[in-house]
Amino acid sequence: MDFRYSTEQELFRQGVREWATKNLEPRARQIDKDEDGIPEDIVQGLVDLGVFGVTIPEELGGCAVPGEELIYAMIAVHEIARADLSMSTPVYTLLTIGWSYIVNKFGTQQLREEVLPAAAAGKAFVGINTTEPGGGSDLARIKTTGFKSDGHYVLNGEKAYVSGPKECMKLGAPSGHCSLVVTDPSTGHKGLTFIYIPAHLDGISWTVYEDMGRMGLSTGGWLYKDAKVPEYCLLGEEGKGFYHVMEGFNAARVLVAAACLGGAEKGLEISAEYSTQRKMFGRPLIKYEATSFEMVNDWMQLDMLKLNLLRGAWMIGYESQNPGTFSRKDINKVIATVKCLSPTLGHEVARHGMMYHGAFGYTKETPLEMMLRGIMSYEVGAEGGLNVMRGIIARDLWGEAANPFRADD
Amino acid sequence: MDIVVSVKTNLDLQMIRIKNREPVLEAIPYKTGDLDKNAVEAALQLRDAVGDSKVIALTVAESNRKVRETIKEVLAMGADEAVLIVDPALESTDQAGVARTLAAALQKIGSYDLVLFGEGSSDDYSGQVGPRVAELLGVPQIGYARKITAGGAGVLVERSMDEFIETLEAPLPAVLTVVSEINEPRIPSLMNIMKAGKKPTEEWSLADLGLDPAAVASSCETLSNLAEEQDRKHVMLEGGAVDQAAGLVNALLKEGILGR
Ligand SMILES: Cc1cc2nc3c(=O)[nH]c(=O)nc-3n(C[C@H](O)[C@H](O)[C@H](O)COP(=O)(O)OP(=O)(O)OC[C@H]3O[C@@H](n4cnc5c(N)ncnc54)[C@H](O)[C@@H]3O)c2cc1C
Repeated sequence: MDFRYSTEQELFRQGVREWATKNLEPRARQIDKDEDGIPEDIVQGLVDLGVFGVTIPEELGGCAVPGEELIYAMIAVHEIARADLSMSTPVYTLLTIGWSYIVNKFGTQQLREEVLPAAAAGKAFVGINTTEPGGGSDLARIKTTGFKSDGHYVLNGEKAYVSGPKECMKLGAPSGHCSLVVTDPSTGHKGLTFIYIPAHLDGISWTVYEDMGRMGLSTGGWLYKDAKVPEYCLLGEEGKGFYHVMEGFNAARVLVAAACLGGAEKGLEISAEYSTQRKMFGRPLIKYEATSFEMVNDWMQLDMLKLNLLRGAWMIGYESQNPGTFSRKDINKVIATVKCLSPTLGHEVARHGMMYHGAFGYTKETPLEMMLRGIMSYEVGAEGGLNVMRGIIARDLWGEAANPFRADD
Repeated sequence: MDIVVSVKTNLDLQMIRIKNREPVLEAIPYKTGDLDKNAVEAALQLRDAVGDSKVIALTVAESNRKVRETIKEVLAMGADEAVLIVDPALESTDQAGVARTLAAALQKIGSYDLVLFGEGSSDDYSGQVGPRVAELLGVPQIGYARKITAGGAGVLVERSMDEFIETLEAPLPAVLTVVSEINEPRIPSLMNIMKAGKKPTEEWSLADLGLDPAAVASSCETLSNLAEEQDRKHVMLEGGAVDQAAGLVNALLKEGILGR
């Protein structure tokens, strides 16, 4: 057993850290303020480091290390989050690299060839599009239909709170989202199919919401009226969409946790530095245990979660190379744990840090308030609500008796 | 053009704590020398400008573990090959011993047109190794290069002196040391990091170079490495900003710092 990064992983980490500290960190506040997306030179810088290619095979323009895709992705997202505490750039990045991993895994050859080289080059946004106005937690009851006709899935319905509408429009085709639609209404969640919806098809329109945070990345709703998605956009098998999307969420949740923990790590550093400098009643603030012990509590959680996150990223990769090693439940529990606890830790670190900074912490001179606004997106629900994570763990620990997702009646 | 770049692994200085006026050297991570990365970048740019060239990274250390990451890093940046001189006897060497080792390694490599160094290492910063190697090999040397191009008698070099810039030419082979302003070292991409492990790497011991451990033994003893302490003058200027500014100008004139 070895708990260290390999030489290659460590070199990659150092490279992303160096680049992001120099090029991204000084721009983060502006990105949050401008609400105009991630600047092109930032995206290009990440492309040059290979960040957008970590989950994409070399023959499709990426630089994936088989079995270690999510480990490299996690490293990159963690470092990017440290530099942009608004969470705009890390989330922009994690969506595209996380869902590209899934397009590569489940996509047809034609779809992979169309989408992945563009994603690796930073020229396409790839997201996830499952939430509907009727709810995001209960995916088995979604309403958007995609009945098959003439070699197409014909979409009708509505999706809501989905990241990336402006980004899809800015980058153009083949940007789009992995999505879940009803292809057979008679069979419940077995009638759901996972498809890639290119954002630029006829019959698709979108709106943008005004969010609380993460202002460099848009969120909005999508309306489908007889939009025809070509058959080659199928992901996995028809009728198995529910299971495929859950696998996708596990990958994405690794990266969500990486973003929150990268932010928490940096937030704690900011707090430690400030409370060491700031003197009150003749001593530095950090000398008071009310301050340092609270920071220690946060640090202990951070350290444990980082370890568990590594374990989750490693398990997914190991299972992909050695199928049958871990059960789906083994992986679910580890991933749900980090997705449940990391956003809350990030929020707490930001909130605690703001308190140590006093009134200064309430201004936009520190990045803590934008960290708080950004990370909360992952508490209220993005990539799965916290109670949904608890429900997954209850179900996978104690079986149907404890499954909150399946009604008895 | 065959370009050899000498790279050194040093302790990450930012991670060193000072306790009782001594650095605590326990469990400090290693890091590739900053100026050495400038030298690697300069070599890569020259290689790509000249064409039909290769860059060999050369490093010397007491253990393979210490330099493993450095070698991978410079290969990932784009060096074509690496040569490691690893020998436990190098644990207690000094600048003269390192220079002797490097010169012997260069002779064993045989064909080289340019040998690049940083002007000094990030830790000791003695700036001796490059010039010593040039003397041992009996080839021309130019220090403090801020721009290198192929041309003239072989290589054209602009070098940064304190108050002026000098342009020199030298026939090949030659030894150059570079300053940090010469370039901004590239950060390797993941693709290149993964390719680095497949590039040819040779590892030689002192015996392979025909060197006796005694030839690299240090002849210096470090008695103290504290920075020189400077007495502060503690002059406080009174009055408003305008008076203080005038007072500061006067004080600087008196010290001979202004109006030279
Ligand atoms: C900034 C942002 C970006 C987003 N981006 C995307 C995106 O790109 N793509 C996408 O598809 N969706 C996206 N979402 C939506 C997200 O996936 C949903 O918010 C999430 O799935 C929860 O769905 P909901 O908001 O409809 O809440 P609901 O499903 O209505 O749930 C409301 C609350 O009830 C809780 N809850 C649910 N079930 C239970 C239970 N059994 N017991 C106890 N509590 C329960 C939930 O945890 C939640 O707190 C985004 C959300 C945000 C805030």
